[in-house]
Parts: sequence; structure tokens; C-alpha cells
Amino acid sequence: MSAIEMIKLTKTYGRNRGIQNITLAVAEGDVFGYLGPNGAGKSTSIRCLLGMISASSGEAYLLGSRAGERGFSEALNRVGYMPSEANFYPSMRVGEVIQYAARLRGMDCAEEAGRLCRKLEVDCYKKIRELSLGNRKKVSIVCALQHKPDLVILDEPTSGLDPLMQEAFFELLMERNQEGMTCFLSSHVLSEVKRYCRHVGILREGELVKVDTVENLTRSKLHTLRKVKIYGAAEVPQIEGISEITKRDDVLAFSYQGEMAELVRALQGCEVKDLLISEPSLEEVFMHFYE
Amino acid sequence: MNLFWQECKMNFKTMLVWALCVGGMCLGCLLLYDSLGESVEEMSDMFANLGAFSEALGMDRMGIGTLEGYYAVEISILLNLGGALYGAMLGAGMTAKEEEGKTYEFLNVMPLGRGRILAEKYAAFAVLLAVFHGICICLILCGFAWMGSMPDMRNYAEYHGAAYFMCCEIGTICFLLSVLCRKRPTGAAVGIAVIFYMMDIMCRVVPALDKVKYLTPFYYSNAADIFSGGGKSEGLLEAGAGAVILGLTLGVSFVIYKKKDLM
Repeated sequence: MSAIEMIKLTKTYGRNRGIQNITLAVAEGDVFGYLGPNGAGKSTSIRCLLGMISASSGEAYLLGSRAGERGFSEALNRVGYMPSEANFYPSMRVGEVIQYAARLRGMDCAEEAGRLCRKLEVDCYKKIRELSLGNRKKVSIVCALQHKPDLVILDEPTSGLDPLMQEAFFELLMERNQEGMTCFLSSHVLSEVKRYCRHVGILREGELVKVDTVENLTRSKLHTLRKVKIYGAAEVPQIEGISEITKRDDVLAFSYQGEMAELVRALQGCEVKDLLISEPSLEEVFMHFYE
Repeated sequence: MNLFWQECKMNFKTMLVWALCVGGMCLGCLLLYDSLGESVEEMSDMFANLGAFSEALGMDRMGIGTLEGYYAVEISILLNLGGALYGAMLGAGMTAKEEEGKTYEFLNVMPLGRGRILAEKYAAFAVLLAVFHGICICLILCGFAWMGSMPDMRNYAEYHGAAYFMCCEIGTICFLLSVLCRKRPTGAAVGIAVIFYMMDIMCRVVPALDKVKYLTPFYYSNAADIFSGGGKSEGLLEAGAGAVILGLTLGVSFVIYKKKDLM
């Protein structure tokens, strides 16, 4: 059984686009990165999954249960969710919110909540209204993880967190993943996706344009796309597949998509002091889908 | 019942302020009765001869010459209007506040289900309104006791039951409004309460608008009608219509909330 499954999931808001025909399965135990720029449809897909909004067509399953159908509440009890904005009741204290979240699940998570609060340096006595976005995010992490869910859905989890906290947060996440928890991470921070995720789905204008492992995604482009830097070259080689040309001092840089042998042939006779050919980064692969 | 208790806790202070203000005003007005002295009888005669308006305010059925009459004709208006405004504002905030404050993302991923969320919120609404009335009832009874003249307890209980039910009905309509809105519809809620009050006055003054009495909950919770004992069977009919409106409104709220896109 997949932890998350979307089948031809579509959501439209009147004339506005939401998401279109998204078909995706996230295996149990996976760390899945859901990539896309703002407005690509990441949060819309997540809200459909969690039953906060109803799909215009298609199906969405969370741990085998569909929103609004029998057993969905039981599935939600095994899910942790961290929204991108992390809003709570302003008049409550942090400790009260964490305890309230546990009580709504009918659980006593005091021990685990205490451990998480210590690790993330959460001040339980502060009022929610006194917290910055980063601190509210930390409370949200505790609420999402304290009941040891089988699946955690994180919508842009690191925005607002300082680098140290980001590190502590991913450490917690990876620790839980080792114990079998599935992570579904929506983000536009490519470095964290590359570092922690095994699989990636890329969204563009509401459509899922690519799903693959991070490794394959960068490697698949490796055969066709390279970043080339030539030191000392005066002219751009006259072959097909060259783009994004920049020239600064005596350094010529460009992207090349094509056969390597052809590039080497084209460079013969050119004045080359040094040559650097590198793999595209995930950022470049990601950007490639938006060109 | 965690959500229920949390709602009660979060709304308790506001409820206490409203109850002390409305109940306190009623109490204060009761205590002023003696200071009105001889002018009470003159006022009673004058008000009784205002024609349709005397009828609208219940002065044709009860005079303000007695403390009970003074309470039924004058003070009950404070309680009815104050209670209706509080009920309307409370109902209007119950679900819309979650979307306004974006806390629905916290609440709706809990394994409760939307039906239960709404049921616990409505239960909290009904209990808070009951406590509000309880406090007002106690304060008003203290006033009667201080003045040394207790009202007919059967009529008193009947009136406060009707007033509570009236507030529930108005609050439930605003509860539906809250389900429909993404921001707290406070202005609309206050407007609804005031419009119902105006409808009550109008249907008593203008004979052609007689049927409006089945729509406005202020009609069956009119203290002068209840204390004078007139039109009890008619009052039951209007209360029945109110119960139908309340039931339908609540049912529609559940249907809509279960299907609503939370954003």
C-alpha cells in the first residue's frame, strides 16, 4: 500500500487553475520531495489529500483512506501535518497548544513532546501571540511529530527556521524515517530536497511534470545537459545545443545539450587554457522544467 | 469533548463580560424602580394610551405599576436585545474564526471529522449561551429579592426559557452564516439580531405584517405576553416555528460545513 496516492487529481477554483490530473504514489518509508514554485499547486494537492478541500475530479488516498469516507479519521490519527503558515490560537500558551493537539488525538504524548521541545528549544510558557514565524514553526513541528505518526506531511517546513534549527529538524525527520515514518515534503528549497529526499515530484502550473529519484533526475539530464566553462576561449563553438552563453574576461560559460564527442570536436582548434565541464545541479534541472 | 471544553474556555471571558453587563444593567434598572416613585403610575397611564405602540411594547397587557410589570415591559427588552446580540456574535464566530485565523489547518487534520467538530462547537455555543442566561437570571432574581417582591416563578422560568431559545435561534442562524463565511461576520450578525427585533415591533404595530410573527423569535419571547398570560397557545405556535427554523438552519450548517472547502 502507498502512504500517499493521487489518481488523476484535479482541483479548479472557478476559472482559476489549481491542479490538473496529478497521478502520484509515495511508497511507505520514502522521503518524497514535492517541488514547485509558489502557486504551482503544492498546497492545493496537500489540502486535497487531507480533506480540507474537495477535489473537482480524481481521487486522493492517505494511508489507504479517502477523504470524507469511512476510516479517514483513523488515517488522520496516523498522520502529522505541518502547514506552511503554522497558525494557532493566539491566546493559548505553547504548552497548552501542544497538549491540546495530543488530547484531540486522544493520546498522551507528554514524554515525546517534552523530548521534541528540548531538541527544538521550544519555550512552552510563551503565548502564541508572542511567537515569531520560526518559533510557531517549531511548535508546529512538535504538534506534527509528538504522536509518532506513520506519515508526516510538511508544507514548506523550513521557511522561517534558522539554519541550526533546520539541521535539528531534518535530524529529527531522518531519525523518524529510519524508524519507518514516510515523509512528504513540499518545498521550493532545492538544496534540502537534494540532501534529504529519495524521490522528487516536480510541479509546474498545476501539473506534475516529473517524478523520479533525485539521483536519476540529475543523471538523466547528465547525458544531454552540461555546464561548460572555457578559460581563454575567444569565440563560442559553432554547434547546436548551446545556450545561456556568458562571457566575463577570458572565461566563456554556456550550457550544452548534446553529444559530448561533438563538443570536443568543435573545441578542436580553439584556444583553450582550461576547460571545466560539470553536471547540472538539481537547481538547474529544476529550472529546466520551467524554461 | 476536548474541542467542546476548549471552545468554552476560549469564549468564557467574553461571555462573562456580556453576562455581567446585560445582567448588571437589568439589575440596576430593577433597583431604580423605587426611585421612580409616583411618576410610575403616570408613566403607566401614559404608555397604556400610546395606541399601537403600547401594544407593540406590551403595555396594553401589563402596566409598569408593579415591579413584575416593570420587569416584563421594560427590563426584559434589555435582556432580549443583549442576549440576542451576544448569541448572534457568539454564533457568528464559532467556525469563521478558524478560517480567519487560519487555525482550521490545525483543527481539521485532527482525527475528529467535520461533523464532530461542528457538533462540539455547537454544543459549546449552546452551553455558553445557557451560562450567560443563568448569570443574568441570578442577577435579576437578586434584584427582585432586594426589592422584596419576587415575580411569579412559573412565568419567570417560562420567559427565560423562551428568551434562551430565542437567543439560540438567532445564534444558530448566525452559526450558519459563520459556516458560510471565511471571516467573522460580526456586522451581519448584529444586523440580523436588530432586524428580528424590528420585525417583532413591526408585526405588532402593522396588522398587515401579522404573519411576520412566525419568523421573528422576539415574538414568542415577549415577556409582557408571557407574564400577562395572554396568547400562550399562540406563543407555542411561534416557538414551534422557531424550532423548525433552528432545526433547519442547524441541519443546513452541517451539510454545508461537511462539503466546504477550507481555505
